[in-house]
Amino acid sequence: MTPFRSEELPGRLFIVEGIDGSGKSTQLDLLHKWLVSQGYLVVFSEWNSSPIVKGTTKRGKKRHLLSPMSFSLIHAADFANRIHAQILPALQAGAIVLADRYAYTAFARDAVRGVSRPWLHRLYSFAVKPTVAFYFDVPLEEAINRINEGRPMLKYYEAGLDMHLADDPEESFRIYQGLIQKEYEQMLDEFGLVKMNAIEPLVVQQRKMREIVAPHLVGVKQADAGGVQEALREAGLLGRYLEEARRRKDVQA
Amino acid sequence: MTAVRFFGDPPPTIAGDTLPGRLIVVEGTDGVGRSTHIALIKEWLEDRGVAVLDTGLTRSELAGPGIKRAKQGHTLDPFTLNLFYATDFWDRLERTILPALRAGMVALADRYVFSLIARAAVRGVPLEWMENLYGFALVPDKVIYIDVDVEQLLPRVIGSTGFDYWESGQDFLRGPDVYHTFVEYQTRLLFEFRYLASRHKFSVIDGRADIAEVFRSIRFEIEPLITSMGAEVKPARTRRPRSRPAAPTEN
Repeated sequence: MTPFRSEELPGRLFIVEGIDGSGKSTQLDLLHKWLVSQGYLVVFSEWNSSPIVKGTTKRGKKRHLLSPMSFSLIHAADFANRIHAQILPALQAGAIVLADRYAYTAFARDAVRGVSRPWLHRLYSFAVKPTVAFYFDVPLEEAINRINEGRPMLKYYEAGLDMHLADDPEESFRIYQGLIQKEYEQMLDEFGLVKMNAIEPLVVQQRKMREIVAPHLVGVKQADAGGVQEALREAGLLGRYLEEARRRKDVQA
Repeated sequence: MTAVRFFGDPPPTIAGDTLPGRLIVVEGTDGVGRSTHIALIKEWLEDRGVAVLDTGLTRSELAGPGIKRAKQGHTLDPFTLNLFYATDFWDRLERTILPALRAGMVALADRYVFSLIARAAVRGVPLEWMENLYGFALVPDKVIYIDVDVEQLLPRVIGSTGFDYWESGQDFLRGPDVYHTFVEYQTRLLFEFRYLASRHKFSVIDGRADIAEVFRSIRFEIEPLITSMGAEVKPARTRRPRSRPAAPTEN
């Protein structure tokens, strides 16, 4: 059922998936702020953000050097680095990790480019199985409308132009995103992704997301549990200088 | 014609099922004299009228510079490092090796997936994971493996580049000094190479002999591949080196 490593870790991992324009990042950002306000220790991990690998990915994209296999491999390298340097240690330490896109993004994009699915599943076997994986389901037309409003220029690989689906970037993007959507739909049951209706009002989506996440938070370490808040209450203080103290700590770190 | 065979599932975008060229790999740990013999092989092939592409690890346009930068930091987990190498490997396979083979050249590779698999194995990466990863690698027509013992390796390494950080396993081994980690690392690495040699039927060349003799053995292994390509057979020219006195070995 899952290609991922199976050991139990004290932390929790929540991830979001969906095509461009599904609103997944907005929802994850709202969840992030909520968890932090609850005093949880939260680590955020973004697709394509490994400090060691992302330079090479950029180089490949800029010079159009990436073929389906090198596209797949370099993204796997980025993901492997984030798993071992960021995600795994945080989960071992009992933190909550939020990831904007996860291995499923690679499964969908690479399969669309013709890479073998079983090969991909074995390749990503070093990944941690998410506590909950959300899939933001949005009609293709709606997603394209949202993208057109926000982003004027489609990038080469983002529009799937490397696959020669169409000459026109917008038409290529439409076909590409449609193919990715089909891959996601096939993965829903196979990997137990939780489907979210991405055309509902943002507030409704966020409420549902929190309802799904909440039961998994039982027993998770809270950075502030019974500490500062209790001290303030007992002494009748407002904590006027705490913000300043935190800022100083951030600067030092 | 060479059959296009892969170790695992064929990768996408590879058209055709036979190639007129030949893929020859030279494998062996650092200090066995790979670069010397590759230089000799290349000249010998060109003398026979065979066009040669030579290639080696981290020489890809895509990932070569990134790997070199990353290795300076010494902070890579083995999975990331191997995926980085795999990216470099694929980029070279797709954009230099396969076109050369399609054009009827000999692609001469200084190290191949076997070095990468051996290095990863000693660092605890599961063999199944590595073999799945390199399922996209083209099966070479010939793997020349130059085999030596650690005792023969030591003077060569000391005499040339000295102990390299990665080639002495300092990224994961702890020992009283570099000498001991080097010996420990190379011993483990040679063990993995010998396992791969029997599993993948390498042509094993005894690297303890002098350069002329090693090269003679290599030519003997490669000769049939070259004649099968239709290269001119020139008995006089091919025999000439044998009738000469043995080339002096550098010391």
